[in-house]
Amino acid sequence: MTRLVRGNGASCAVKGGQPGQNFVRCSWQVILMPLVVACYRHLASFVGGCTDGLKLRDELRQTRERARELATTICQHLTLHLRDKSLPVEQRKEMELLWVALSSSLELLHVDMCKVYNMGAVFTLESPRLVQTGMQGGSSEIAARALSLPDLNRAVNSNLIDGFESQEHKTMEQEINQIDHMIEDMETKVNVLRWMVEPNGPLNAEPLGSADSASLALLSVDDEQLAGRQPAGRRVLIVALLLLCVVISVATTLSICIFFF
Amino acid sequence: MTIRNTLRDHGQRYRPRMACLKKAEKVLLEMQDPKSGVKSQPQRLVITTIPHAITGEDIVAWLADRFQIDTREARGLGSMLVALGFVYPLQDHKRLLLKPDASLYRFQTPYFWPAQQWPVEDTDYAIYLAKRNIRKKGLLEMHEQEQYNRLHKWMNHKWDFIVMQAKEQNRAAKERKKPDRVVFDCQERAYWVVHKPPPGTVSAMDYGLDRRIDPNADEVTGENARLLREDYDLHPAVHHEAQSQVVGVHRLVKYSATYNSHDPFLSKCLPSNPWHTDDVTYWTLNMPNVETPTKMRVERWTFSFGELLSDARGRDDFRRFLKKEFSGENLAFWEGCEDLKWGTAATMREKAEQIYKTFLARGAPRWINIDGKTMEITVNGLKHPHRYVLDAAQTHIYMLMKKDSYGRYMKSQVFKDTLKKAICPEEHKFTDAQLEQNAKNRRPSLSPIVLRQRELEERARMAANAPVDITQLCRFTTPVPHLAVYSGLVDSPSANPSSSLAVLAPCPSPISVTPDSTSASERRAEAGGKAEQDGEASRAPGSTCKSRVALSLRRLLRRGCGVGGGPSDVFASLSPKCQSAAGASGRIRPISPDASSQAPPRRIGNFFQIKVDIPPECRIYPIESEDEDEENRASSQGAWGTKEIICPWESLTPHNGTG
Repeated sequence: MTRLVRGNGASCAVKGGQPGQNFVRCSWQVILMPLVVACYRHLASFVGGCTDGLKLRDELRQTRERARELATTICQHLTLHLRDKSLPVEQRKEMELLWVALSSSLELLHVDMCKVYNMGAVFTLESPRLVQTGMQGGSSEIAARALSLPDLNRAVNSNLIDGFESQEHKTMEQEINQIDHMIEDMETKVNVLRWMVEPNGPLNAEPLGSADSASLALLSVDDEQLAGRQPAGRRVLIVALLLLCVVISVATTLSICIFFF
Repeated sequence: MTIRNTLRDHGQRYRPRMACLKKAEKVLLEMQDPKSGVKSQPQRLVITTIPHAITGEDIVAWLADRFQIDTREARGLGSMLVALGFVYPLQDHKRLLLKPDASLYRFQTPYFWPAQQWPVEDTDYAIYLAKRNIRKKGLLEMHEQEQYNRLHKWMNHKWDFIVMQAKEQNRAAKERKKPDRVVFDCQERAYWVVHKPPPGTVSAMDYGLDRRIDPNADEVTGENARLLREDYDLHPAVHHEAQSQVVGVHRLVKYSATYNSHDPFLSKCLPSNPWHTDDVTYWTLNMPNVETPTKMRVERWTFSFGELLSDARGRDDFRRFLKKEFSGENLAFWEGCEDLKWGTAATMREKAEQIYKTFLARGAPRWINIDGKTMEITVNGLKHPHRYVLDAAQTHIYMLMKKDSYGRYMKSQVFKDTLKKAICPEEHKFTDAQLEQNAKNRRPSLSPIVLRQRELEERARMAANAPVDITQLCRFTTPVPHLAVYSGLVDSPSANPSSSLAVLAPCPSPISVTPDSTSASERRAEAGGKAEQDGEASRAPGSTCKSRVALSLRRLLRRGCGVGGGPSDVFASLSPKCQSAAGASGRIRPISPDASSQAPPRRIGNFFQIKVDIPPECRIYPIESEDEDEENRASSQGAWGTKEIICPWESLTPHNGTG
């Protein structure tokens, strides 16, 4: 058995043979699921803000569909495998981890969908009274990431505007119900004892390679309360300046001495 | 269609309605209007500018203008918007208040608006903390670190997912442009400051306990509503409700007027409101067991009897007054009933027995004066004691105290003394710096467990000290030799009376004694020396006799007669059969008439005046048949009759009467 340890902590075992390949595919998809859910959450935070519009709603819809597809496939796979009594213990553990990941993703997705649904009712496209949130850029890059496409340069079809909203509304209702049912099914059909599932990863995840300290720096400029956490750089700067002053004063004294004597 | 909350809440607890959120949303939307809304300006950061920043003074001005309110109120309203999380500060992000100066704020994106339907979930918080942990390379704040560890423990099974999701969210955020990323970070941080406030601050989203009914569930509509309406029209009795509502309103107005000056939030609180100034003097001055109460507190006692009783210090004062009047048994009984009602289920039976023996039984040492019907109900109920078995008696006694003793207490010297001694603290005047200092010095108060323990110790100590008081009282129960009615005599002063006293409240009343000395003789004459072959161990005179008894008792008490001997010995014999805290085993012995004359002067047996010859109509207490039979049997054995106080619900085993 070879182990595929992913950088982000989800590991899956690979077994030789046909079911094994399914398994690998399934675990890849499970890794994709959090990605889509994360992107959906970012997109949802745009709703009602100043960059809200038809494009955003369309992107949301597409992301939602992708999430649903993934979820359905994974669910089927996992249910199939977990119901198989002859599964070895190791694999079962892995499966259960994936199961927990899937159910948590679905829960997050469900909440986000509900929020978008409710906000969509308040912030309709027809009479936009959008909140000035300070956002400037668009959301297309995030949507592209969610759909695993290089970019999302699709011109929005303006014909969609008529009746788009009400249709969207109805579709969302159905989709939310569907996710609801899926979660319920997951609870009832397969008996996974969540509290017995042990995670593989460490407590503190390793930091990402190039931490986006730039935005952090911008935040800390806003933040007046840098209580006692003076950045080291500033201290070094002050020391250097002091040294420079000392050197300059010494030099001036020496030159004066030479001048006079 | 209802969209349910994701987490299957099998506990069925729901958040309450939060109407303020919907209203705040509307206000916020109005503020967005490009023409009539709040003016925004760009925020300049080091390398970029971010639009849509608003100043605090602009917000206050807009609110004051829109709602036609004064600046102070507008500031309060604005602070509420900030505290709820609809607007967040760009500088000093941890303090959620609106500063009416040039400090900058920004509107929160609707995704992060607080909502009643979706409570904040731990999973989200864990993901947020994980994200911060990754980006700050492990340098979380203290409370965040604690929460992180706690969540790791509780959500261990999901931890892989949480970390994965945190990383994915970070990566997705990178897809945004730099200023947008900053804005999103600010938004998310503000959201979590509102919902998971740092220690030492209060969250505006605190709503107390969860509710049992889902406020988002469908209400009664359609057919059912129509039926309900018809029902209303057909029943005119329902219209009375409307009238009583008017009465209710008047009462509410009166209540508000009376208590307005006593409310620490509606009016000035001396010395200062701890919630405002973080200075706890007010609470220490008003502790339950303080020696000198404050003037406001004493004033509250005059509002109603209920107020007096519910305040521990007030009750103390009242008890002192009653002790002087020798009628403390009412209050003791009331307290005993309260103890029973609020105590643990395990001790209920014991307590009920104790109360019965002390206050209600025939010849009880602190017999209380309740009418026959109530006594009947109570004794019947005591067969199967439950928490509220003494409710009827307690109400009766409460009304008695309220109508009688309370009025006299208000005019008494005790109350006047207390009022004179009451302190009126000076108002604190804190400067801003001092207020900050106070806020830093906030300490948590004592744990309620510790307080409860202290209370119990205090009570035990009070009870243990009680014998000192008792010897002052009831010195008038000298046995009258010529009365052949005696009950028993304790055969030897029992060794440890104080243990029995520990369960009895202090200042017992010798009420049971007096009837003997005054009316016994008459009754004896009437009854013509009926022996207790009747088997009627009399408990107390009948209701008609009782009022006479009570009056004579009062007279006697006022004269302050002393009684010889230690009443404590008598108490020791209180519980011959039932296992109670009273450790003494002495029993009441019958005294034969001829022996009574030779009784030593120290005899104090009159506490157990068990009459044998009261006329039947005076006998009002329902005497259980078993009791009767038992006593018949016992008496037929030649004894003078069992003089033990037997709980009527105890199964009686025949034993030799003399014991």
